[in-house]
Amino acid sequence: MERDTNFLEISELKKSFGSGETRQEVLRGVNFSVRKGEFCVLLGPSGSGKSTLLNIIGGIDVQDSGTITINGERLREMDEKSLTAYRRLHLGYVFQTYNLIPNLNAKENIEVGAYLSKSAVNLDELISVLGLTEHQYKYPNQLSGGQQQRVSIGRAIVKNPDLLLCDEPTGALDYKTSKEILQLIENCNKKYGNTVIMVTHNEAIRSMADHVIKLRDGLVRSDERNEHKITASELEW
Amino acid sequence: MKNPLNKRIPRELVRDLGKYLVILLFMVIMIGVVSGVYVGHDSMMASLKNGNVEFNLEDGNFELNKQASNELLADLSSGKRADLRQHFLDEAYREADEAAESAARDALEKSVQAAIEETVREQCKAYGVTDEDAVSAQIEAAIQDQYADALKAASESEDYQTALHDARLAARKEAEQAADETWEALAEEYSLNEECEDCPVTVYAHFYKNEDEDLSGDGTADATIRVFRSDSPVDRASFLSGRAPEAEGEIAIDRMHADNVGLRIGDSLKVGRKTFRIVGLLSYVNYITLHENNNALMFDAFGFDVGMVTPADFEALGARTHYSYAYFYETKPANDYEKADRANDFLKILLTQTVKADAQIEDYVPVYLNQAVNFAPDDIESDTAGTEILVYILIAVIAFIFAVTIDSTIEQEAPVIGTLRASGFTKGELIRHYMTVPVIITLLGAALGNLLGYTVFKDVAVDLYYNSYSMPKYQTVWSPAALVKTTIIPLVLMFCINLTVIVSRLRLSPLRFLRRDLKRTKRAKARRLPRWSFLRRFRIRILLQNIPNYLILTFGVVFIEIMLCFAFGFPDSLDHYAQNAPDMLFAKYQYLLTDTENEDGTEITVDSPEAERFSAASLLLKNGTHDESVTVYGYESGSRYVSIRESLTGSEVCVSRAMSQKYGLQAGDTVRLSEKYKHKDYEFRVMGIFDYDGGVALFLPNENFNQLFDRDAGSFNGYFSNTELADLPESKIASVMTARDITKITDQLDHSIGGFMGIFQYALLALSVILLYLLSKIIIEKNEHAISMVKILGFRTSEIASLYILTTAIMVLFSALIGFAAGYTVIQVIFRIFMMRMDGWFSFYLSPSGGVLAILFVILGYALVTAIDFHRIKRIPLDEALKNVE
Repeated sequence: MERDTNFLEISELKKSFGSGETRQEVLRGVNFSVRKGEFCVLLGPSGSGKSTLLNIIGGIDVQDSGTITINGERLREMDEKSLTAYRRLHLGYVFQTYNLIPNLNAKENIEVGAYLSKSAVNLDELISVLGLTEHQYKYPNQLSGGQQQRVSIGRAIVKNPDLLLCDEPTGALDYKTSKEILQLIENCNKKYGNTVIMVTHNEAIRSMADHVIKLRDGLVRSDERNEHKITASELEW
Repeated sequence: MKNPLNKRIPRELVRDLGKYLVILLFMVIMIGVVSGVYVGHDSMMASLKNGNVEFNLEDGNFELNKQASNELLADLSSGKRADLRQHFLDEAYREADEAAESAARDALEKSVQAAIEETVREQCKAYGVTDEDAVSAQIEAAIQDQYADALKAASESEDYQTALHDARLAARKEAEQAADETWEALAEEYSLNEECEDCPVTVYAHFYKNEDEDLSGDGTADATIRVFRSDSPVDRASFLSGRAPEAEGEIAIDRMHADNVGLRIGDSLKVGRKTFRIVGLLSYVNYITLHENNNALMFDAFGFDVGMVTPADFEALGARTHYSYAYFYETKPANDYEKADRANDFLKILLTQTVKADAQIEDYVPVYLNQAVNFAPDDIESDTAGTEILVYILIAVIAFIFAVTIDSTIEQEAPVIGTLRASGFTKGELIRHYMTVPVIITLLGAALGNLLGYTVFKDVAVDLYYNSYSMPKYQTVWSPAALVKTTIIPLVLMFCINLTVIVSRLRLSPLRFLRRDLKRTKRAKARRLPRWSFLRRFRIRILLQNIPNYLILTFGVVFIEIMLCFAFGFPDSLDHYAQNAPDMLFAKYQYLLTDTENEDGTEITVDSPEAERFSAASLLLKNGTHDESVTVYGYESGSRYVSIRESLTGSEVCVSRAMSQKYGLQAGDTVRLSEKYKHKDYEFRVMGIFDYDGGVALFLPNENFNQLFDRDAGSFNGYFSNTELADLPESKIASVMTARDITKITDQLDHSIGGFMGIFQYALLALSVILLYLLSKIIIEKNEHAISMVKILGFRTSEIASLYILTTAIMVLFSALIGFAAGYTVIQVIFRIFMMRMDGWFSFYLSPSGGVLAILFVILGYALVTAIDFHRIKRIPLDEALKNVE
C-alpha cells in the first residue's frame, strides 16, 4: 500500500458514557483519516476523548455510532473473535502504565508480543534498538520507569504491527526519558514503517508528527499535516 | 514459538512455594488416604469374595431343637415342600380309624360277653341251678370255653362290619375337619398358601457348642467360645498363622479375638473344663465379624470367639450341642432378588418338613442376611464411600481456595491482562494460562497421593480392617477404578470450579481490565456505614472487600466443625454409653432359659430371693430397609426390676426409652410388630416410656404377655436377678445378659476406631490451620498496598494487625460457632441414619468439654496462623504503596 493512501478512516464517530442525567458525550462526531506509515499525534486536554478514541480504534471499546475503517475493513462489523485476531495480527499497544508481567524478565516480556506475531522482528536486534541489551534479563521491578516503557514499546513493536497505538507513553516519565522514548518510537516508525497513533497532551510532541489532530470536547478542532516536522531529539518543552 | 507466558508457571510456583507446598501436601495426603482406602478395600473385598468359594461359604444355615433324622435331611435335600395338609389328614385318619376300631371292638367284646352270660343263666335256670356262685362259675367257664369263637364269629358278621365301617366314616369326617383347621391355622401363620418353588439343597451338619473361655485361668468365664469340629467340610477357615488342630488338646481360635485378648500360638486356653494349646489363628469364612447371633447390635471380638478342635475333643466338651445345619442351593441365585425369593422358599420347605418330622426350628439365617458374613463388606463399602465423599468435599474446598487465589491474582494483574487482551491474546489462551497451576498441583498431588496410597496408606487401611474384623489373608489388588477416582474426579472438580471462576472473570472486556474495573455489579456509591469508630468501619470495609474469601472460610470451618463434632463426639458417646451401662440394665443378670422344666418334668426353681421370673419374646418391627428385632418383656406384677407403675391391660405396653428415641414413639402411639418366621402381626398401644436405654424393647405384665402369645397362665422363660443364679442348670440357660453385653458394642467400636479419633482430631487441627493460612494469606496479599500505605501514614504493625487479623479472627469465631451448631445437628442426623440401619439404639453424645474443644481447635488453628500473618504484615515494605502496578 502506498504511503499516501488512507490506512485508517474515521467517520462521524460518536461515543457517550452513562445514561439519563449522568450521560456524557465523549465523542460527538469525529472525522479524520490517517495514512499508512504516518506518525499521527492526537492532542487534546484531559477529557477531550482522545483515549476513548484510541481504545475504539484498538478494538477494546465500541462506538455508539459512526464508522472506523482500517485497511478497508470496518471494525464495527467484526465479532469478538475477529477483533481479537485484528489486535493480535495488526496492532501494537503502548500504555502510560507499562503493564509488564512481573515474573517475566525484560526479554521474555518482549517475547510475549513476538509469540502473537506471524512476522515478528528480530528480537535481539530490537532489544539492541531499544537499548535494553544490558537489562534484558532483569525483571520489571529491577528496571527504571523509562526502561520499563522501552520494554513495553518493544513488546508492541516486536509484532511488527501495522498500527502502533500509544496512549500517553511519556506521561509518567521525566523530560530526558520522555525524549528517549519518543526517539525510540520515531526510530521504530522509520525502521519498521508502522503507522503510529500517539495520544498525548504534550503540545511539544506535535512537532515530530506527520499528522496532528487536535480534539476538544469530543470534536476534531484541527486536522493538520506537518510539513516541517523535526526529530524527537530536537524537541524541547 | 512457545507461549512465553508458560515461563511464568515455574516462577509462580517458586514465588509462592509455601502456599503451593501446603496445598500439594494437603492433596497428597487426601488423595493418598482415598487411594489407600480403595486399594485396601479392593484387596480385602477380593480376598473375601475368593474366600467364600475357597472356604465353602454356606448359602444359609438353620438350627433345630434336636438332631435331624436322615429322613428329614433327605426331605430337605429334595427341596420339596411337605404336603402338610395331607400329613395332618393321614395322621387324623390313622387316629380316627384307630379310635373307631377300638370303640367298635370294645362294644363287640362287651356284647359277646353279655350274650354268653345270658345263655348260661338261661341254661342254669332251666336246670334249677340258683346258687349265684355256681352260676358265676358256669359263666366264667363258658366264657373261657366259647368267648374266642363267639368273638370271631361276631366280628366276621355282616352287622359288625357295617357298624365298624359307619363308625370309621363318622370318625374320619370329624378328624378331617380338625386336620383342615390345623392346616389352615398353620398356613395362615407361616404364609404356606403362597407360591413356593422347589429348592433342592445339599445339607451339611455343622454342629457347634458354646463354651466358656477362661483366659485368666481363675475359673470364671471371660468370653464365650463357639467351637466347631476341625473336619467340617463347610464354612471352613483361613489360617492367618499356625495350623488346624490335629491332636487331642489342640485348638485354633479367631485371630481378631486372640489379638484383642492377647493370646498367641502356643498359649494355653481353658475352654469349658478342658485346657487346650493354641496351634492356629484363623478366620472363619462365616465369622468375618464375631457376631454371637444375628440380632446382635454389634459384633464382639472381646467377649465372643470362634474356635476349632478335633472331632474327639468336640464330643468331649460338656456344653449342649447346637444342631446347626449349613445348606447349599443346587442352583445358585443369580441376584439379590433371587436370593431373597430362594431364602423365602426354602424357609417354607424347612417349616413344613420340620413340622412333619416333629422338630422345631431354633434359628434360620440365609447367608445374605447373615451379619457375621455381611457386616464387614458392607462396612468396608460404606467406609470407602464415606472417605470418598469426605475427600471430594475437601478437594472442592481446596479448589475454591485455588479459585479465590486465582481470582485475587487476576485482580492484581488486571492491567497486565488488559494489555495482553488488547495485544491480541485470546481468552482461551489466558484461561489455559491461569488454569495451569491448579491442574499441575492436582496432577502432582494425584500422582504422589496414589504412590503413597499404593504403598503406605494401603497398609494403614488394611491394618485398620484387620484391627476391626476377622479378615482372611489378602493379596494386594491393583485397582484401576481407584486410580480414576483419585485422579480424574479431583482433577475434574479442580478444573470445573477454577474454570467457572476464571471464565466468569475473563468475560470482562480488556478495557475494564486496563481500568482495574472488575466489579460485576455497579454501585454508584460505597455502602454507607453507621457512625461507628474509624477502626470498626475500617474492619467492616475489609470484611465487605473479602466476602468471597470469608464465605469459603465459613464453609470450610463449618465442614471442619462437623468433622470435629464427630471426632470429639464419637469417643464421648462411647464413654457415656459405657459409663451408663450398669444403669441401663434393670437387673444385673438376665437369664433366658431354653426350657422351664427339669429333665424329670418338674419346674425349674431357684433359691435366691433376688430372682424374679419374666418372659421374653423377639418380634420384628418392619421398618423399610431394615427390620428391627424388638424384645418384648413380660414382667411380674409389682416387679422389683421393671418399675412400671402404669396399669396395663391387653396389648397396652410401655416402650424402652431407646425405642422411643429411635422411632419417636410417645404415649398414645400404636406400634405393629410381627413374628419372625410367621405371618402373624401384633399391635401394641404405647402407654408410657420406660427408663431403659439398653435396647429396643417393650414391656407388658406377664399375664398379658402369656395371653397375647397363647401361653399357659403363669408360664415364663427367664429370670431377672441382681446376683448370679448358680443353681440354674447350665444346660437350660439359653443366654445370660450382663452389663458386659451392653458395653461390648462400645468396647468393640473403641477398639476398632477409638484410637484413630485422637489422630483424626489433630488432623482436623492441621486442616483448619491449612485452610485458614491459605485464606488469610490471600486477604493480606490483596491488601499489601493498603497495608503499606497505612504504614507510611504512621500506623504501627500491631494496629494494622488488629485491623486485618481481628476481622478474620471475628469471622473465624463466628464460623466456628455456626459450624459447631451445624456440625452437632448434622452429626446427630447422620448418627441416627446410621443407627436406623442396624438393630438397637445408641444415642450420640458430645460432652460439654468435647463441645468446647471442638470450637477451640479451630480457634487454636487460627492462633497459629495469626503468628504467621503478623510476621507477614510486618514484612510488607513501606515502598510497596509507591510501586508501580508491576
